Amino acid sequence: MGVALLALIGVLVSAYMAAYTFGMVGSIVCGTGGCETVQNSPWAVFLGVPVPIIGLVGYGALLAAALLGLQPRFEDDRRVALVLIAGAVIGLVFTGYLTYLEAAVIHAWCRWCIVSAVLATLIFVFTLPELRRLRSQP
Amino acid sequence: MAAKKKNAPAKNMKPFYIALAAVAAIGIAGILYSMNRGGGSMATEPLDMSQIADAESLLDRAQGISAGAENAPVQMIVFSDYQCPGCGHWAGQIEPLLKAEFVETGKVRYTYYDFPLVSIHQHAFLAARAGRCANDQGRFWEFHDRTFLGQAEWSFSGGAPVDQFTRYAGDAGLDVPAFTACLRSDRHAETVTANQLLGETLGVQGTPTVYINQRRLGDREWSDYNAVRAAIQAAGGV
Repeated sequence: MGVALLALIGVLVSAYMAAYTFGMVGSIVCGTGGCETVQNSPWAVFLGVPVPIIGLVGYGALLAAALLGLQPRFEDDRRVALVLIAGAVIGLVFTGYLTYLEAAVIHAWCRWCIVSAVLATLIFVFTLPELRRLRSQP
Repeated sequence: MAAKKKNAPAKNMKPFYIALAAVAAIGIAGILYSMNRGGGSMATEPLDMSQIADAESLLDRAQGISAGAENAPVQMIVFSDYQCPGCGHWAGQIEPLLKAEFVETGKVRYTYYDFPLVSIHQHAFLAARAGRCANDQGRFWEFHDRTFLGQAEWSFSGGAPVDQFTRYAGDAGLDVPAFTACLRSDRHAETVTANQLLGETLGVQGTPTVYINQRRLGDREWSDYNAVRAAIQAAGGV
């Protein structure tokens, strides 16, 4: 349940950032003022895809997997657990990379990116019990 | 463990789904609210940067846009305003000759700084931001030339001349949706404001203000190409 809730918040944050990227939101509510710097930097696009879109897809997939895992039919399904764990690890690594860029390369902090980093970390922590589930099953 | 789960009573998930739906509804409402006020947040005026006290921080934030060889013997700087007729003369009559004779031949490094005179030119700040949006796509000079060419067309526009700038963006070969997204935001407001403050710090009072190796040209000099050429040659750009 925790993963679903966190992933939903991640989807919303990513949607907000994507709306800014595509000009649908004029300015970001950002206390530090660094959001604009980060979002307009060359690192706001990863392999040709805007980072908020990657977040939207990633958090969306985690949300779908988490909701699926809550259904009685899939409660003991190893595949759901695997998707959740893989998604959480990829999310943690990617957000770690982005946080490194903010700190060491762009020298600006975007509060929404930090929110996303915290979400990805919490999702990783919340999916750790899934590892036990994987181990406990044949 | 699996057997234990099967025997356990089914969890009541309804409160959880309600909470999830509430979070989604609040989030979506917040995003929609931000989108609705999107047009109103297009930056058309300088930011309040009075908290930046020291010149070094200001220089960090100010960014010129340059043309020509980095190691050219003569460095030339212009502080300009898209809505100022004098700048229109400079951009249309002097700059093309200057670029052909000195910039493209590696003799002069030419750098453009925004200095929108917002108290008398209501669209100058937006125009400066538009130039920066074009620069994001590597087509600053194309957009700059097109906007100065159309100066009379948009200068007296009642509202923000977004449509005209968007058309110029197309003429300049820009990705128009990306340009419009940039224009309708607050992007580059900080840089343009910093450029303006940099000019004020240097004592710029009007536009265009032209420097050749730190020497400021007088009004009669910058408006006459022969005088500009003579000043460049005197500064070592033979």
